[in-house]
Amino acid sequence: MTQPSFRRRLAVWTSVLAGGALLGFALLSSWLINQAKVDRLDVQIEAVLIRMGRLHGGRIPPDLATALAREWGAGNNDTVAIRLLDTNGAIVFQSDHWPQTLQPVPRRRPTAAMPEPEPPERLGPLRNRAALVSFSTQRSAVGRWRVGTILLPRGQGSIAVSLATIRQEMATIRRIYLVTIPAALVLIAGGAWGLSGQALRPIQHLHQRVNQVTAQGLDQRVAPRDVDQEFQGLIQSFNAMLERLERSFHQATRFSGDAAHELKTPLAILQGELEQAIQQAETGSTMQQTLNHLLEEVSRLSGIVRKLLLLSLADAGKMALKQDPVNLSELLREQLEDLPLLAPRLKVESKIEHNLVVRCDRDLIIQVIQNLLSNALKYNQPQGWISLQAYRQPQRVILTIANASRTLTLEERTHLFDRFYRGDAAHSRQTDGLGLGLSLSREIARAHGGDLSLDDAPGGQIQFSLWLPHHR
Amino acid sequence: MNVLLVEDEAKIASFVQQGLAEQGFIVDHCGHGNEGYELALERDYDVLLLDIMVPGMDGLAILKALRQAGRNLPVILLTARNELDDRLQGLNLGADDYLAKPFYVEELIARIHAVVRRSVGERQNRLSVGPLTLDRITREVTCAGQRMELTTREFNLLEYLMRSPGRVLTRTQILEHVWGYNFNPSTNVVDVAIQRLRKKLDPLGAAQWIESIRGVGYRFRQPEALQ
Repeated sequence: MTQPSFRRRLAVWTSVLAGGALLGFALLSSWLINQAKVDRLDVQIEAVLIRMGRLHGGRIPPDLATALAREWGAGNNDTVAIRLLDTNGAIVFQSDHWPQTLQPVPRRRPTAAMPEPEPPERLGPLRNRAALVSFSTQRSAVGRWRVGTILLPRGQGSIAVSLATIRQEMATIRRIYLVTIPAALVLIAGGAWGLSGQALRPIQHLHQRVNQVTAQGLDQRVAPRDVDQEFQGLIQSFNAMLERLERSFHQATRFSGDAAHELKTPLAILQGELEQAIQQAETGSTMQQTLNHLLEEVSRLSGIVRKLLLLSLADAGKMALKQDPVNLSELLREQLEDLPLLAPRLKVESKIEHNLVVRCDRDLIIQVIQNLLSNALKYNQPQGWISLQAYRQPQRVILTIANASRTLTLEERTHLFDRFYRGDAAHSRQTDGLGLGLSLSREIARAHGGDLSLDDAPGGQIQFSLWLPHHR
Repeated sequence: MNVLLVEDEAKIASFVQQGLAEQGFIVDHCGHGNEGYELALERDYDVLLLDIMVPGMDGLAILKALRQAGRNLPVILLTARNELDDRLQGLNLGADDYLAKPFYVEELIARIHAVVRRSVGERQNRLSVGPLTLDRITREVTCAGQRMELTTREFNLLEYLMRSPGRVLTRTQILEHVWGYNFNPSTNVVDVAIQRLRKKLDPLGAAQWIESIRGVGYRFRQPEALQ
C-alpha cells in the first residue's frame, strides 16, 4: 500500500483538526447562547413576578400578558401566559391561553426551621431572588415553556413564556453555523494545502539542487544560502556526506588508477622480454612454445589491467574521448567480415542502414562492438545464429545485436553488467567470464552520451542494444 | 634510420633498443627528459620515441617544446599512465602516434614505419619481398605482376607478415595487430585466416612462404631462404 503524499496528509489532518475544533466551538457556543437567552428571560420573568408580588391583592391588568409579550419582543401575543393561585390552589387569575399541561413547580413553603423569606416589598430587584422564584422548563402541546413561579404570602403567581422564539433564534444561529463552518473548512483545507506546498517548496528546491549535484559530479556542493534557515543543518550534513563520499571515491579511483599504472611497467618489461626471447629461442622448440604460452598470459593480464584503468577513469568521470565523426555502417561491416571465419556454423543476419554517422572515439567504439560480437559468439548455441541491426532514429543511432543463447535466469540478467560477473558456475568453466567487457562497454557508451542495455527478449535468445547520439 | 628513445625504465629501453637494432635502426637512448630534448634539437633523427613519464621535462613537455621550436620530426608517445588523457593531449600537441604500455616491439616497429612513411610521402608505400609486392595506398598485392584479390583482413595480415620477414610472430601478436586487442574469442581465427591467405597465394607458388611455427605462430620467410 502506498502512503498518500505528505502534502495531502498534512492538508487532511489540518482540516480534520480544524473541523473538530469548529464543531466543538459551534456546539459549545450554541449551548451557551441558549443558556444566556434563557437566563435573560428568567431575569425578565422574575422582575415581573416580583412586581406582581407588590401588586398582589390588586388587580392584574387583563392585557398584562399581551403587554409583556410585546415588551419582550416575542412575536405572538399568546407567547406569554399568567396565572395566579391562592393558598388553596384555586385560580385567582389565568390568561386564556395558559397551557393546561403546565404545572408550576413552586418552591416548597418554608418550614418553621427555615425563616420565611423576606416579603418581596423589601427586596431589591436581584437580591436573593432564587430563594423566592423558581424556574422550570416544561413541555406542552404547543411547545416548550419557561415557567417562573413565585410564592406569595397568599398564594402563588406564575408566568409562562413560550420558548418557541428562542428556539427559532437558535435555529437561525444553527443555520448560520451550517453555512459558515463548511465554508471555513474549505478555506482551511485550501489554506493548509497551500501552506504545506509552501512548506515543501524548500525541500523541492533542495531536491533539485541535490539532483544537479549528483548529475554534475561529486565535487559539487549545495550552497547553504540557497535554502531557508530550517534546512541549513540538512544541507550541511548533505555536503559533509558528499565530501566524505568524494574523498573515499577519489581514493578508490586513484588507487585503481595508480595500481593499473604500477602494473603496466612490469607488464611491459615482461612482454618485451618474452617477445625477444621467442625470437631467440630455437624455432619450434618446447622452450619457444612455453615462452609463447607465457606471452599469451601476459597479454591477457595486460588486457585486464587496461580495462581496469579505463573503468577507473569512467568511474572518476574522466574518460577523455577523442571524438570524430565515424561512419558506423562501414565500421560494422568491417567487424562483421570476420564472423564467417570465426564461426562458420553460425547463421549471421545483418541489416545495417547506410551512412550511419556518429561522433565518437573510434578506438573505444570498436572495442564496444568487438566486445558485443565476441560475446555473441562465445555464448551462442551450436548451429545458432547472430542477428545484427543498425538503424537511425531522430536523435540517435541504434545498434542491436541478438544471438541464440540458453535462456538467462533473472539473476543473471540483473548481474550481467557487474564487473567480473561469471554467472552460472557450470557454464563459466566452458567459456571465460564476461569479466569487465560489458561493464566497460556500457561505461564507454555512457561517456558518449549513449547507453548499452540488455533488451527483453524471448527465451533462447539474448539481445543487447547500443545507442549513440546521432552526428549532425 | 635514426631513432631517439627517451625512456627512463632501463629494461624497457633495453629490449626496445635491441628489437629496433635487429631491424637495422640506429637507436640513441637517454633516460632524462631535458637531456632528451637537447639531443632531439641537436641531432637529426628520423623518429622520436617519447615515454611520457620521464624525469625532468616529461614527454608531453618535450613534444610541445619541439613543435614550438618548429621541429616536425615524427613523434610516437609511449605511456603507462592514464591512457585516454595522454592520447588526447599527445595527439593535440602534434604527436604522430601513440602506443600504450605494454606493447610489442613488433608493433612499435610497424608504427615507426607508418609515421615515417607518412612524413616522407609516398615513396615507401610499397612493400616488396621477392616477387611479392604490396601497395599500402592502392591496397593492391601483386606477385610477379599478377594481381591478387584480398579482403581487408587478409591484406592487413599479409602486410604484417611481410613487414618482418624472418621473425616469428605469435598468434596473440597477429591477433592484436590485425583484429585489435579486444577481439579474442579464440586465437583459432588466426589459423583460419592464414589458411585462406595461403590458398590465395598458392596459385602464385607463394603459399609456403608463410611458415607455421608449431605451438607459437607464424613466420614469413624470404623466398630466397627457401631455395
